[in-house]
Amino acid sequence: MIPFDFEYYKPSSILEAVELFRHLLAQGKNPVYFSGGTEIITWARMNAIHPGAVIDLKSIPECNVMTFQENNLVIGSCVTLSVLSAVNPFPLLSETVIDAADQTARNKITIGGNICGKIYYREAVLPLLLTNSRIVIAGRRGMKEVSIHKVFFQQMRLESGEFLVQIITDRGYLSLPFVHFKKRQIGNVGYPLVTLAALKKDHQIRTAYSGVCAFPFRSIEIEQVLNDPALSREEKIEQAIVKLPAPVLTNAEGSADYRKFVLKQTMSEALSMLEGG
Amino acid sequence: MIRQAVGKSVPRKETWEKVTGTAKYVDDISSPGLLHAKIAVSPHAHAKIKSIDLSEAWKIPGVRAVITGEYFPVLTGSPLADRPPIAMDTVRYYGEPVALVVADQEYIAEMASLRINVEYELLPVVHSPLEAYQQDAPIIHQHLAAYKRHEEVYPEPGTNIANRTKIRKGNMDEGWKNSDHTIEIRVTLPQSDHAAMELRCSKAEILPDGKVIIYSTSQSPYVIRRAISQSFQIPLHKVIVHTPLVGGSFGGKSAIQMEYLVFLASRAVGGRAVKLANSRELDMISSPVHIGLDARIKLGCTHEGNIVAAEILHLFDGGAYSDRGVVMSRAAAVDCTGPYRIDNVHCDSLCMYTNHPYSTSFRGFGHPELTLAIERAMDLLADQVHLDPLEIRSRNAIGPGDTTPTQTILDRSNVGDLPKCIAKLKTLIHWDDQPIKQIDGHLIKAKGICCFWKNSNTPTDAGAGAIVIFNPDGSVNLLCGAVEIGQGTRTALTQLLAERLRMDDRMIQISTGVNTETDPQHWKTVASRSMFLVGNAVLKAADDAIEQLKNTASIVLGFSPAELNVGGGRVYFKNRPDIGIEVEKLVSGYKFPNGNTIGGQVIGRGSYAMPNLTLLDPETGKGNPGPEWTVGAQAVEVELNTREYTYKIVKAATVMDAGKVINPEFARSQVTGGMSMGLSFASREAFLFDQSGSILNTQLRTYKLIRYGEQPEYLVDFIETPYLEGPYGLRGIGEHGVIGMPAALANSLSTAVGVAINQLPITPELIWRAVHDSV
Repeated sequence: MIPFDFEYYKPSSILEAVELFRHLLAQGKNPVYFSGGTEIITWARMNAIHPGAVIDLKSIPECNVMTFQENNLVIGSCVTLSVLSAVNPFPLLSETVIDAADQTARNKITIGGNICGKIYYREAVLPLLLTNSRIVIAGRRGMKEVSIHKVFFQQMRLESGEFLVQIITDRGYLSLPFVHFKKRQIGNVGYPLVTLAALKKDHQIRTAYSGVCAFPFRSIEIEQVLNDPALSREEKIEQAIVKLPAPVLTNAEGSADYRKFVLKQTMSEALSMLEGG
Repeated sequence: MIRQAVGKSVPRKETWEKVTGTAKYVDDISSPGLLHAKIAVSPHAHAKIKSIDLSEAWKIPGVRAVITGEYFPVLTGSPLADRPPIAMDTVRYYGEPVALVVADQEYIAEMASLRINVEYELLPVVHSPLEAYQQDAPIIHQHLAAYKRHEEVYPEPGTNIANRTKIRKGNMDEGWKNSDHTIEIRVTLPQSDHAAMELRCSKAEILPDGKVIIYSTSQSPYVIRRAISQSFQIPLHKVIVHTPLVGGSFGGKSAIQMEYLVFLASRAVGGRAVKLANSRELDMISSPVHIGLDARIKLGCTHEGNIVAAEILHLFDGGAYSDRGVVMSRAAAVDCTGPYRIDNVHCDSLCMYTNHPYSTSFRGFGHPELTLAIERAMDLLADQVHLDPLEIRSRNAIGPGDTTPTQTILDRSNVGDLPKCIAKLKTLIHWDDQPIKQIDGHLIKAKGICCFWKNSNTPTDAGAGAIVIFNPDGSVNLLCGAVEIGQGTRTALTQLLAERLRMDDRMIQISTGVNTETDPQHWKTVASRSMFLVGNAVLKAADDAIEQLKNTASIVLGFSPAELNVGGGRVYFKNRPDIGIEVEKLVSGYKFPNGNTIGGQVIGRGSYAMPNLTLLDPETGKGNPGPEWTVGAQAVEVELNTREYTYKIVKAATVMDAGKVINPEFARSQVTGGMSMGLSFASREAFLFDQSGSILNTQLRTYKLIRYGEQPEYLVDFIETPYLEGPYGLRGIGEHGVIGMPAALANSLSTAVGVAINQLPITPELIWRAVHDSV
């Protein structure tokens, strides 16, 4: 039960959406964009957010594409996790998103929503960080295409009125060797203790993490250590652990100590599968 | 040819309603003008209420009433009346109702409930039953001595002890003197949720003549009637309770909680119809929960492995109010030793107050908890004496001629056959063919076993009634008060009736819901006793109807009633079955060709209450608490990954003495469902509290349940040793699948990992910690 009234808008173009936002903001309605809507419901039920208006992006054609354009894979922000994993144009992304939430929720959750969400796991971003994907953003000043590393730092850094339209990934990344692990407290559904996505490009292993800290990240420092040929696997992991960008999480899924144990274990599995060759 | 009804897997009567989605539950009921209630709850585990400001809530258009505990000060709860439906002066758990709003729409009520401003003064929080037990613990109930007592209950004012049950059997000095081996163990398990699919929901209306109509998701419609009548001084017959199909309950819907609130809500708006529906979050923490336990056990045995002494202390986490926690702590004393012959027993079983949500009955009623403790102790003892875990259990298995902790003498009828269950389990899980522990690289397969027994701990006069009404075509309507909570009891009761009337069970109609105005009383649909209590009433009603049919037929046919039989839709002469008369010609009275009529509509009535039960002696526990024990043996096989301490539950097995299996498919489903619940809470379910006593996981995304696809292979088998007082010899089986699962899981994982796992839930992190802490 959402305990307050709010207005609902469903624009059918990018321009209309941006204009609506500007208009509703000026009216003091504290508008929010959404696509799948699962997080709006989650937070509104708990009385944690109070938007006066919501703008549903699902009717915008650009937000629903999933296509190859020349050397790029273009994925609209409103493509659901279910569709993404069923069509499977990007195997690492498919594997990552099919482990989020449960089937019913994945039928609603979209890739844009997962990345832009307040729930801090945002696992769909991990493959994008590893592949240096680019993000198409719409805003008051029109459209722009920027590297994921410029707009995603712990969370999406969008300006007021901006929204995520598309994700563009270089085709060359899609066939690289990769691994993905999601370790949970127990069972096959739930938030991660540790999610690790990794791929190998030009003999270098890239890794990105969710669940370890209170935000997802890819760390160049960690990658340097993991790719240091002078170190044994155990040494790599011991050194990588001290380079984590923030304290390890303790929450309902598990304690920091245990997470560290699981993280080391998972790193070891990832390295053993990607090293060599 | 008369179709046999007992022993057949007939489908549920409500199958079509359920599979087509047309089945109606309480929350599906709507009517024009229905108002909605929502509660505001405490964000603190223990605090004084300094003031409550309702003004902001009242400002919202559509709000009809806002009430607090002062609106109708009353203490509720049975056996011990310690709980105001809405907190007064003090809150004692996170999630306790502090105010209630009634509004035109549900969301308006919710919005208003969020605008109620309460000023609190924090009090020290009691976080566990062990803390509550300490001499200097903050006292949670200052007026414990003044609380009204129903049923037997022994609170200890000035402490946090809501109830103490003592078992004093034999001579402990003797026991310890004869012990060549002793072991001691502490076992703990936390509070968790019932997690029924259907959330609790109640609706109330007070008619102009003072009649109160309640609809509720409940296992106890007749107790709701009594509780509302007593608490609000309304004549019993003016309270009418309806319980349609219930979507799972597991004990959680036997407590009366929402019903008080929704009655007060309706009263506050002049008797208009009001509905109160829980959100998942409130259902988990504001409504009562599954009890926790902190147990200490000391066992002694001879060189041969014969157990001669047991000393047991149970500290149950009853939470902020005692409710059925009192009775569960007693039940856990009554059966404290598990199904083993022990001559010297000393047990104190306590229901402790803590600043946790309050506990109420949970499937197994204290037994999954006591069984985890005693069965971990049994494995430890087996290890010490170097006996096979099944062997030590066989050797000590209780049986005819032995006495229970409450000194009841057992016979084959009241205890069934545990050695037979153990033997069958042994074959089922290939106990002798494979080692208990098999190592394959970083994977270890291991088996854990346990035994259980369970009697019920009902009031000594618990009973039920039934009415059998014949329709003009010879079909039958069965009226009774057993609630359909998914267990299939109402269908199985029609099987008993069909068997006794020797008719086709498809000719018997039974409603899906219960209406206290028209259905004869049944104590509660709990304790795995509905088939026994209502079943006996149904058989008596059937016999009554048979007698009426025979009496009328005897006049028509010219034989004495004793020479007649009923079956296959006819009443006939025993020695010449071809001489007889169709039942349908008798059921509305028999009309002679000249128009004269004898007899009238055939309406059979029956009732049954448990005979020979006694209260327990407060000093020794001596007494007869329940009619019979269902015994069984269970096993779990796990595969542990020693790299990460994750594990897969490969197999789970149960062999139980069911007395008589009435509907094999229902029985198997019921036992399997119980096993699934047991494995779920044993492996992952627990409320997580922070330092202030707030609960951190009030949603199913962080509160874990076993999910479809994670289930092991389930093996279920039955032994049938008749219980002579039960219909066709049946014993209770509704709860029992759950009982030994936590123990069997803990035993299997302790064996696999080589370190004792004496705590629930057994998450991989817990195992990692146990290993980590042991080196």
